[in-house]
Amino acid sequence: MKKLLAIALALVMVLGLVACGGDDPAAEGATKVSVFWYDEADVYLSSVRAELNTALEAAEVEYDNQFAGKDQAKQIEQVKTAIAGGSNLLVVNVVTSGDPDIAQSIIDAAGDIPVIFFNRAIGADGSDVALLNDNASSCFIGTDAPEAGHMQGKMVGEYVLANYETVDLNGDGVITYAMFKGEEGNAEAIARTQFGVEDADAVLTAAGKPALEYFDAQASQKWQTDPEGAWSAKAAKDYMDTNLVTYNESAGNMIELVICNNDGMAEGAVASLQQAGYNAEGAHVVPVFGVDATDAAKALIAEGAMIGTVKQDANGMAVAICETVKAIAGGKTPVDALASLTDERLTVAGDCAGKLYVAYAPYTGE
Amino acid sequence: MANPVANLQRTAAEFKQMDAKDKRRFMVDSVLNNALYILMAVFCVYTAIQRPNFLSMGSLGNLLVQVAAYLPMALGIAGCIVLTGTDLSAGRAVGLTAAVTGAFLQRIDYANKMLTFLPEVTPFWMFVTLLSVVAIGAVIGLINGFFVAKFSLHPFIVTLSTQLITYGIILWFFDLNGNNGAPIGGLDQMYKDFLGTTMFKMGNTPIPLYVLYAVILTALMWFIWNKTTFGKNMFAVGSNAEAAKVSGVNVFWTTVLVHTLAGAMYGYSGFVEGFRSGSIAAGTGTNYECDAIAACVIGGVSFVGGTGKISGIVLGVCILRIIFIALTMLGVSSSSLYIIKGAIILCAVALDMRKYLVKK
Repeated sequence: MKKLLAIALALVMVLGLVACGGDDPAAEGATKVSVFWYDEADVYLSSVRAELNTALEAAEVEYDNQFAGKDQAKQIEQVKTAIAGGSNLLVVNVVTSGDPDIAQSIIDAAGDIPVIFFNRAIGADGSDVALLNDNASSCFIGTDAPEAGHMQGKMVGEYVLANYETVDLNGDGVITYAMFKGEEGNAEAIARTQFGVEDADAVLTAAGKPALEYFDAQASQKWQTDPEGAWSAKAAKDYMDTNLVTYNESAGNMIELVICNNDGMAEGAVASLQQAGYNAEGAHVVPVFGVDATDAAKALIAEGAMIGTVKQDANGMAVAICETVKAIAGGKTPVDALASLTDERLTVAGDCAGKLYVAYAPYTGE
Repeated sequence: MANPVANLQRTAAEFKQMDAKDKRRFMVDSVLNNALYILMAVFCVYTAIQRPNFLSMGSLGNLLVQVAAYLPMALGIAGCIVLTGTDLSAGRAVGLTAAVTGAFLQRIDYANKMLTFLPEVTPFWMFVTLLSVVAIGAVIGLINGFFVAKFSLHPFIVTLSTQLITYGIILWFFDLNGNNGAPIGGLDQMYKDFLGTTMFKMGNTPIPLYVLYAVILTALMWFIWNKTTFGKNMFAVGSNAEAAKVSGVNVFWTTVLVHTLAGAMYGYSGFVEGFRSGSIAAGTGTNYECDAIAACVIGGVSFVGGTGKISGIVLGVCILRIIFIALTMLGVSSSSLYIIKGAIILCAVALDMRKYLVKK
């Protein structure tokens, strides 16, 4: 019995290793693309991956996907292993965003092999521009991180302006808002938290209305962050439940607007508001805004329980990567490859020829 | 023990007979042993002065609702801690069972229904889902328990492995049927009503039905821990597995069942999780075990093993939630929130350990 069990366990281990093998080696000279993802669970990147797999298969490019599980050191090991295994074009979604040294070490490891960075920023405050200019074998495809915040802020401002009387529940002429931040220290979260409010304020003050006010005047910061840094619905729900105890209609200080860093948190806020009797059919809708345009959020918008979100274009990102891969495989340099793209959603950055932006789009229902 | 009043009277009588030095030591010991509760009381008073709403009925209702959501998981994991172990797979077990719950209970007309072949949600189907997710949780626990008991492995490493495996299954599950890792939303109204129908209101906070279920589960766990042979065996194995074995306790099955029971509780937590947050993503459940383990330890379920009370766990969950609610109401920055929470857990564990060091 004991021996049987030991044999069974050993078999499981062997099977596990065999299952991870597979795939025949590439033909000599053909392009072999390795795509490195910072984590497999990311919602937006999962949809990019699905689109990209389809696009690369259609283009008959040999490729593989590797996942770093949010571990930068592991990803660099994966990159080195892939190069040793014959990959000759790297597509990298770095784990630690905003640090050009990380990108540099990947470029160094790659040597002459071209590297396409995508999605997560490889430098902050212009440090990525210098890096890309110095390394002609690399380029970056992503979004202009602050753009989502700007777009969300503008959407919030315009919605509030158009529905001022309805949104202003207590009729005091000032709109109070709650802001849910996905994680501390993330460049995108910081930009969204800042511009989601600032740009809304700009729209409102330009029209002669007062700026938005954070619901808790005594708070030491004007947002609430997911303690796990997971951008989760649960955190937004727990915060909102607790906020509603003090800030509600009977006290005359109800939170009149909710802005969230992503759709997951927006869903949590909606769940909390629904539990308190809002955002359902026939009830007052406290406007809730997110970013990502996930299917779940789109469904809430269709029901009228949520107002708007900002769409990160997964298809646009996948098209951009696949077309760049094809152009580089065809002999172009990364910079020339970016310049050759014609899709209207894609624009080469004004400050750097090696950087391509995929446009965001506001989404308020179809 | 049965009569707290008599107990107090006896303590008071003993106290009178002590000399001055003993009296002082007794006072210091009492303060230190209850330091956590004294600190919490001071903290609550401070919060209440700063934010009078903190002690309003609505706020207490909010506390009750949050405790009810976090309690089942802590009740499950506590058993593993009583056995001097831990369970790192708890969070992922909640994630997986939440995902299954979500996929099983999507509205039939939801545009992005993931498992399109599933029937419309009926009470029967909901019951099947509940049983399935509790069973899935139990199987994860069973595997944990089996490896811990059969190979005398430390639960830390066993549950670390199952945590990874479960996460892999979650990621695979979210890719099913062209879902491509998208969150699972569009949950059926019947399911939402089953958990979320307002029973009554405390202040302005509606108390949903799942609070009642949490009370029932707590009573059930209390019964299992205190009134069954299995419960007594669990404590015996936890305090000294060798001695328990010699006295005829089946250590293997006790260990397996404790983990299985814990898994079943995670399954139930996963069932509720989908309702609470409105939709489930692949990251749901990440690190949930940390709060549950912390709550148990704060509540006096010691890593030394063999000790712990259901009331302690309830108290532990309450304290963690009170910290969260109070700090949220006070509007402290995120950095302070981490520091304060960490400091409280550290102090609680240190004070708990102190009791055992003194005994030795």
